[in-house]
Amino acid sequence: MAIECLVLGAGQQVGKSCVVVSMNGKRIMFDCGMDMAYHDHRRHPDFSRISEYGDFDKALTCIVITHFHLDHIGALPYFTEVCGYRGPIYMTYPTKALAPSMLEDYRKVMVERRGEEEQFTSEHIVECMKKVIAVDVKQTVQVDKDLMIRAYYAGHVLGAAMFYTKVGDSAIVYTGDYNMTPDRHLGAAQIDRLQLDLLITESTYATTIRDSKYGREAEFLKAVHKCVLGGGKVLIPTFALGRAQELCILLEDYWERMNLKIPIYFSSGLTMQANMYYKMLISWTSQKVKETYSTRNAFDFKHVLNFDRSMISAPGPCVLFATPGWISGGFSLEVFKQWAPSEMNLITLPGYCAAGTIGHKLMSGKPSKIDLDKDTQLDVRCQIHQLSFSPHTDAKGIMDLVKFLSPKHVILVHGEKPKMATLKGRIYSELGIRCDDPANNETVCIPSTHHVEVGASNTFIRSSLNPNFNFSKMSSEDESDSRLKDGKFMPWLQVKDERAAEGILVEEKGKRAKIVHLDEFLLMLGEKKHDIRFAYCFPINTDNLEDTKSTDVSSSSNALSVSGRSSWLPMLYIKLSDELSGGNIQYFGEQIQVESFSVSLCLKDRCPYRIVDSPPNKCEAVFFCCAWSIADEKLAWKIISILENRNYGTL
Amino acid sequence: MDRDLPNSSCEQSIRSSSENPAEDSLSPETLASLRSLVITPSTPDTTISSIFQTLTRSLQLSRDPLVLHHTLKLLSDLASYRPSLSSSVSELVRSHALLSSDSTRLAAESLDVLASIAEREGTPVDLDDRSFVSLCFGPSVSVRSWLLRNAERFRIGPHVLLTTFLGFTRDPYPYVRKTALDGLVGLSKPSVVEDLDMIQACYCRAVELLLDTEDYVRSAAVRAVSAWGLMLVAFNLKTKLYWSDNLFVKLCSMGRDMSMEVRVEAFDALGKIEIVSVDILLQTLSKRVLGTTKEMGSFGQCPAAEVERSASSVAGVLVHGLEDEFYEVRKSTCHSLRTLTIISAEFSEKALNLLMDVLNDDSMFVRLQALETMLHMATYGLLKVQGTHMHMFLGSLMDGNMSISSATRKILKLVKLPNLETFKLSVDGLIDNLERHPQDEADIFSVLFHIGRNHGKYGVSIINEVFEEMEPPSEGKLGFDTARVAALLVLAISAPLSHGQHACNIPPIIFSYAVTLLGRISVALTDVMNQDTLLAYLSQCSRSTRFSAMEFNLREDKPHLPAVTIASLSHSSNEINSTVGSPFQQGEDGAANLQYQAIREPMEVASLHFGYPLEVQDEVIRSMNLILAKVKDIWPLIQSGFTNEVLRVLRSFKEELATFASGSLRFVGDVAFALQYLQVVKQLAKVWEHFLPARKLCSGMGELDIALGKLETSLREMRSRFTGLSLKQELQILELLLLTFTLRLSKVESCCQVASLKKLSTTASHVESILKLGSIEPSNFMSEVSKLSYLTRTSSFGAPCDPFLFKELLKYFSLEQFVVFGTIGHIKAELVVPDNDAENHLPFVPRLPVGIPCEITLHNICSENKVWVRMTMDDESTQFVFLDLDHFGSSDEVRKFTYVVPFYRIPSALSFILRICIGMECSFEDVPSVKRYGGPDRELTYLCQEKEVHLSMVGEH
Repeated sequence: MAIECLVLGAGQQVGKSCVVVSMNGKRIMFDCGMDMAYHDHRRHPDFSRISEYGDFDKALTCIVITHFHLDHIGALPYFTEVCGYRGPIYMTYPTKALAPSMLEDYRKVMVERRGEEEQFTSEHIVECMKKVIAVDVKQTVQVDKDLMIRAYYAGHVLGAAMFYTKVGDSAIVYTGDYNMTPDRHLGAAQIDRLQLDLLITESTYATTIRDSKYGREAEFLKAVHKCVLGGGKVLIPTFALGRAQELCILLEDYWERMNLKIPIYFSSGLTMQANMYYKMLISWTSQKVKETYSTRNAFDFKHVLNFDRSMISAPGPCVLFATPGWISGGFSLEVFKQWAPSEMNLITLPGYCAAGTIGHKLMSGKPSKIDLDKDTQLDVRCQIHQLSFSPHTDAKGIMDLVKFLSPKHVILVHGEKPKMATLKGRIYSELGIRCDDPANNETVCIPSTHHVEVGASNTFIRSSLNPNFNFSKMSSEDESDSRLKDGKFMPWLQVKDERAAEGILVEEKGKRAKIVHLDEFLLMLGEKKHDIRFAYCFPINTDNLEDTKSTDVSSSSNALSVSGRSSWLPMLYIKLSDELSGGNIQYFGEQIQVESFSVSLCLKDRCPYRIVDSPPNKCEAVFFCCAWSIADEKLAWKIISILENRNYGTL
Repeated sequence: MDRDLPNSSCEQSIRSSSENPAEDSLSPETLASLRSLVITPSTPDTTISSIFQTLTRSLQLSRDPLVLHHTLKLLSDLASYRPSLSSSVSELVRSHALLSSDSTRLAAESLDVLASIAEREGTPVDLDDRSFVSLCFGPSVSVRSWLLRNAERFRIGPHVLLTTFLGFTRDPYPYVRKTALDGLVGLSKPSVVEDLDMIQACYCRAVELLLDTEDYVRSAAVRAVSAWGLMLVAFNLKTKLYWSDNLFVKLCSMGRDMSMEVRVEAFDALGKIEIVSVDILLQTLSKRVLGTTKEMGSFGQCPAAEVERSASSVAGVLVHGLEDEFYEVRKSTCHSLRTLTIISAEFSEKALNLLMDVLNDDSMFVRLQALETMLHMATYGLLKVQGTHMHMFLGSLMDGNMSISSATRKILKLVKLPNLETFKLSVDGLIDNLERHPQDEADIFSVLFHIGRNHGKYGVSIINEVFEEMEPPSEGKLGFDTARVAALLVLAISAPLSHGQHACNIPPIIFSYAVTLLGRISVALTDVMNQDTLLAYLSQCSRSTRFSAMEFNLREDKPHLPAVTIASLSHSSNEINSTVGSPFQQGEDGAANLQYQAIREPMEVASLHFGYPLEVQDEVIRSMNLILAKVKDIWPLIQSGFTNEVLRVLRSFKEELATFASGSLRFVGDVAFALQYLQVVKQLAKVWEHFLPARKLCSGMGELDIALGKLETSLREMRSRFTGLSLKQELQILELLLLTFTLRLSKVESCCQVASLKKLSTTASHVESILKLGSIEPSNFMSEVSKLSYLTRTSSFGAPCDPFLFKELLKYFSLEQFVVFGTIGHIKAELVVPDNDAENHLPFVPRLPVGIPCEITLHNICSENKVWVRMTMDDESTQFVFLDLDHFGSSDEVRKFTYVVPFYRIPSALSFILRICIGMECSFEDVPSVKRYGGPDRELTYLCQEKEVHLSMVGEH
């Protein structure tokens, strides 16, 4: 059975994540995001590809949402309330808690500020959230008889999760956005080593490799400390959730250690409310926050006070967190106007600012004047510090995850096309895993594991219960070529335990397939065990044997008598003993035996195993017949080459 | 004896089973009662031997595996409780269970019995290799893993074990694989394996298991890879680097495992590698794959793809380790850097950049480990501090955590600073540190001295810049008490001892200024010179630094060398140093030796002077006070009923305190006091549970009364068993006693209201009398209690008070912090009755008194204390004997003597056991007097554990 992967969004782009995966008759939609860059129908995934007639309930088994960012959840109310999907939706508890306010915020901005047509109403959001089933990390949820999903911690934002999905024998992981390095408030992504057919991973930073965050933190602290020591004010514009908490924990910790008394303010509004969410959802935060929770909640900021508008022009140093992050308006802009003209002050900027915002203008070079609007110009003399904390994993992290999970197949989404191509190449060349980066509305089909349920005989079960390991030594001729097999070092001595491999799968007509033990199998067939033996009959030039033959035999060499013939074998024995180091060579009169290899004189005129019919000089050659079993194939050819006086390897 | 009564039914059942051999299976009830007989020491031998017979029969005849299991368990108990039977048990088990049973599980259980008997007796279990292996090959997985885990107990030949372990790394059961790997780790000794093929096989097998699906198998695999990899590395000098690189890469590939345990193991293992190619090492610090790693050939003749794979698994692994989410991993990474930095200077320089950033870590453990790694680097001369590091580095001087700032200072003593700028920053940092934490003065002075000596040139140039600042103000008063000036003085006087001849540039007058700080400076410099020497040195330099520079005969190669005699030293130093303790004065006349000791740990030197480590004592007291401060902080937890958390926290405090007890003898009393206090808080927490709103009243008043009783006893001990308590401390104990009485009175159902009320009022009046003595402010609770107790005293006497009034009082209480000063003595006694135990009895003659020879040691008991020996018999009849302390030694601190205690009430028995103990009369007014004929007048506080003395009639033993 194949797994079909229809990419409705985030194919070779960052935005509107939406992937529909069909496996073993189930169809799951992962994420239902919207693209903020468009304001027409392109902002939503093309749902018509799921079902032509709009019968989504039949077409989809369930929807899984990884986290509350709009590019992962933005189109959900539209899909459920306008398009009419009524099936189950799964997301984590924090996502369920935080999603409504994110969606509502977005709706307000769209409708009230920009005066756009409403995609969905507040009621729609409420109705939509009613369909949501919340899950916890590592909780296994049986969606129906066959479909199982399980969330794994993904870092990134509060409540972000990766989802493991299993239908029958096919298993995949969809990561959503994730972070492989922890920050001050969220942990790193964490997942078990699973057997996977497919991994669908984000690739926002498909080629970026980030250095240690310690350095960036130290720089940030140093800049802030310097500024407040000099009596300046620090403005940290952030969005309410995520960065604000991380930076605040960082500052709190530093303040505590350095015993600083300078006030840190949060502008009122969403941030304080967000802190409350963090306090409640403590189990979704980083290890450190969880550990100290019993003594002190890390989000109960000791040094943080509420900011009042009147304090903007109050004298003395302070640190202020204000929304929004891009200084595109609101309170952070108001404060910026007041503080920017003084050299003593410091403005920090988030890693990314949308074009057209003041943040973006400040990032590009260091302007001394900024046009607020047509008529107003602002002198910017303050210091500017750019932060580069990103909640996404970098290329190294993606590779690490892929390597750890070692799935059979990888699909990249949520990234930029050229960078994805580079990463795709790396995954194939370094890890040997096939990888795709489909564009939007493309479908990728990949083969999946298919298990057959079989019965097992008692003898087989008993034999697998008892240990049955054995050691094998590589023979010395393997030295040159195969000690480094696939670049891996192979030791001489190896240990194997093949108790499960010894079973035989029997499929009889009308009966269930069954695994039986080898002995049973023979009994079932009423047959005896047959050994495959190879046989080979070859001439040996008697001249070659002259070297080892005693003189009295050589005198009558041109007329081979029967008695003369019988003396050939001892001579071969001597020759073999000389040249074959090791190995148990035995001489039984009629034949020579080395392990399973045996050689004897061939007295037949027409031996079926004879390949070379006529030796160059018939009278000087004697034919020998030899046989061996497959296990000793290499040994056999080595002996033959010794006997034929040829160098091993020319065969 | 009445104790035999319940046993009789068991004996019947034994008898019935012995009479009826057909009934071979024992019921669970019988087995249980047999067990109770076995573990009771007083069960007579005859019963035991019949139990043994019953068990023997059961083992021989029973087929039921459950019964056999229990029988074996009982036999094992029998052997451990009755050592005399152990050889017969072992024989029985060996002859029957082990050989006859066809169940491997049973065989393993019998092996366990045999092994535990053998271990007690110190003899080996004779299990031959073949039976061990065949047992291992049985189908039961649990038996298999048990055998593998316990293989060491059976002394199986190492070669058999090795193959067995190696084979079982292929087991389909992960737990068996893990056990097999752990077994392999244990065998990775050159003495066991000499065969290269074998080592390679084990190493490669372990490497394969690095990819196991189970966390714990991977974690064991990392240990095994490390152990066998190191064997392989050590095997041959020629291939050393190859295998070391190989091992390093393998371990690095586990640094990004998803399991924290695996990562910790991986980084721990990395720290054990002593040699590795530099380019691989450098790659661990960069997440980007470096060009050099790609090109280099140290991965042997591997194909290019393999080299790339190795490089990418190594890439940035240490960076990842240092920014891991779990502090355990970060700490382990910091630790592994200690060995890795030694390998390459280039690497150590780059690693230092990272380590400096780690000083910003949120976990104290990680920061501390990073500093320790730096200290390690500094001792190897690898610590190349740069200007960019200074902000982070000096920041940790300001760290609120004592151990962090002191670790930083240790590094500063050794560090080599690159330029004047960084030197100035460091000195400013230290001065800042001193201003904020004046209690660390000695340590900071010492650092300044060392840093000045290590950087003489910079020191001189700073001193000359700020010289005017150090001049006393014009009025002629010496004003060196500002921290800054003092610090600069210390820096200045270190200059003449540095390498160069810069000392000449220090104005001599500075040395005279420094003399005024002699005491403070000499405390700081105990690791360098004693006070007399310091004075001699200072006065010498103040006359002429030129002279001293010559006289000191400083050599370039060994700058801190050797003894130089300075003549004529005035004895007036004694007056100057009056602030410091006398141990520094050596009492030599006229001259003293300037004994310049090369850098020595201050502790070592201090211990030369005092006989005990100087730093430790301050540290101990400080740490103890820190803990005691934390105890105060858990009061809200107790109040809100988080009893389990409180108990856990207290347990951890107790463990912490216990470490001090083992460290220094000097503070035994203080430690004991603190431990006793923890005990009190623990009991208080348990009592408080009963006063929580949610708690139902039906919880049983008996329970509460017992808890309160324990609390009171502990408090009384705290009050009576320690000497040298300050008034404040005594008040605090009394307050806790008041609290106990108030608690008792505030429960309606509690009994002894009148007695408690009386105790409360006597204690309250005692508190008042203490308050009159000193200038201590009473706490809210104390004043409220004394108001109430005054009321009850004046109101119509005898009427029980309203419990709700007392309940109201509880609101006022909060725990206050105890502060110890190292002055407390612990009153305790040790009592030994020599040559007496269960085997050796003391003889007595019926109806005649018997003398019991006791070796008694009393600590901190003065002659005013009334000390008694109490002797109790099984029937609780008690006899007291008074110890007149005037007869035994004069010292109050420790009295050691032997005293033959007479015992008169000899019972009419063949033998008996006497419980003997030493107690001291409490001299507190709230303790009721006991009227006992010939006994103590007041309640006793017992000073030691009860000792059992065995006596038997002459001729009976």
